[in-house]
Amino acid sequence: MKLKYAAALLAASISLGAQASQSDPLESPLWDYMRQLFIGDAPYVFDDKVSVDVPEFAEDPTQVPITVNASALSGNIQKIVTWADLNPIQHIFTYYPHPDIVPRVSLRIKVQQGSAVRAAVLTKDGVWHIGGSYLDAAGGGCTTASVGNANPYWESHLGETKSRFFPREEGGRYKFKIVHPMDTGLVDAIPEFYIEQVVVKSESGQDLAKMELSQPVSENPVITFDVRNKQSKYSVWMRDNGGNEFETAL
Amino acid sequence: MFKKIAVAISLLFLIGAAHASPLSYNLKAEKVAENTWVFQGKLEDFSNRNGGNIVNTGFVVTEEGVVVIDTGPSLRYGQAMRKAIESVTDKPIKVVFNTHHHPDHFLGNQAFSDVDIQALPETGKQIAMHGNAFAENMYRLVGDWMRSTEVYLPSRPIESDHLKLGSHSFKLMSYTGHSGSDLVILDEKTGVLFAADMIFFQRALTTPHTPGLHVWLDEITKMRDIEFSLLVPGHGPLVEDARAFDQMSAYLAWLDEVLTESAKEGLSMTEVMKLPVKPEFKEVALKRREFMRSVVHLYPKYEEKYF
Repeated sequence: MKLKYAAALLAASISLGAQASQSDPLESPLWDYMRQLFIGDAPYVFDDKVSVDVPEFAEDPTQVPITVNASALSGNIQKIVTWADLNPIQHIFTYYPHPDIVPRVSLRIKVQQGSAVRAAVLTKDGVWHIGGSYLDAAGGGCTTASVGNANPYWESHLGETKSRFFPREEGGRYKFKIVHPMDTGLVDAIPEFYIEQVVVKSESGQDLAKMELSQPVSENPVITFDVRNKQSKYSVWMRDNGGNEFETAL
Repeated sequence: MFKKIAVAISLLFLIGAAHASPLSYNLKAEKVAENTWVFQGKLEDFSNRNGGNIVNTGFVVTEEGVVVIDTGPSLRYGQAMRKAIESVTDKPIKVVFNTHHHPDHFLGNQAFSDVDIQALPETGKQIAMHGNAFAENMYRLVGDWMRSTEVYLPSRPIESDHLKLGSHSFKLMSYTGHSGSDLVILDEKTGVLFAADMIFFQRALTTPHTPGLHVWLDEITKMRDIEFSLLVPGHGPLVEDARAFDQMSAYLAWLDEVLTESAKEGLSMTEVMKLPVKPEFKEVALKRREFMRSVVHLYPKYEEKYF
């Protein structure tokens, strides 16, 4: 019954195109503007199949854990775009998952105030599926200097990566951490300095997952993702906006 | 027309102001032992309804003056405390102790600015460093209750591990498990143990500045040797036996185990936050919220071990 309803809703929204003025379930004041910015006039639907897990409140606005999960749309995904409506820099990351990778990713972000946090999944039929959650926050995460900025540790350890594979019944999970200040550029006299690109490659050199990160990704990013095949060997390549490249075997 | 509306609106405000009840903590000193009174806070988180009154503070009246333990979350609270103390005794306040640097324990200091305020040396430094940020956060969390509250530093560090005042002798003990610098006070005359936030009871403990759960656990084990008749936890009901120690040890050990196991399995932070709190703690207030906060405070260090 629920499925039928969703299908009908989807069909209706596609036929009506962008004009299908579904109201934003999170009632964010910036929804229309964000929609224009990130998906333009393309057809979209609010869809429970796309989940954004955030805590109810941001205990530390510089390190808010989020998990974006679009595995219900697995195999049918072109890309996933995430953003926080009320952040000064809204875009968080864009993710291009290969079918061999589970389209679910966890990392930590900075928030400037309480905001809707969204994931928009573009499926192969050209429709955007929008999921999201509201995050309560005291704020200030984007205009706080990185911890690294007060401590020269990162200068001699920039790009150091640690990773680990955690086997699951099927496939497994990779988690990796890289030392990087991820400066937003919004703090006085500290220029933006952040990792822009992350690519997970298979042994044969094929791109399994491609991510474009923006400044709101937290300092010393910890990224978790799941693979379907535990036999393969993977490596990760990253590049920051200063042109530094980091590559490591996972 | 516009003028009429403006007048109507300002009238509405006047009526509103006349009817708004003034914010009051209604502090009632509860006599818990000979010469000893406690103000019990609510088992809640900071809110604009409770004004931050979530903490247990207290005082002991000796022949030579009053000893005050912690000053609460705001100037208004400190003033209410002082009034309540004066309703019990006309003895002067001799010394105020700030048990640690968290905002609900020292932001009432302004009300005692004419008195000797003492804290552990490290606590004084922590208040000087983080006090303003805490105060700002409290204004945001509880609002107008904080009016005119400013950070007022302890006047000097504690120099001795004993304080003799009249017929009372206070043992001053220094721990670190909760905040990095935690004062615990035993009144050797009455056996009342002011454990401050080293001990939470029936209210989930908080971990933003713990040096580590193992440090805290080890210190709880040491504290079990203290002989007391009544334990005043920093948060939660008073208790006469070891139940508060038992609950603390069990909760800390469980928290450590959950975080360790989660890190071993490679869980992400959002997944850890959703894990169930052990049924053993179902009576403990704010367990879910504090567990989620603790995950943010502590999980990265546990993750680090399993990379």
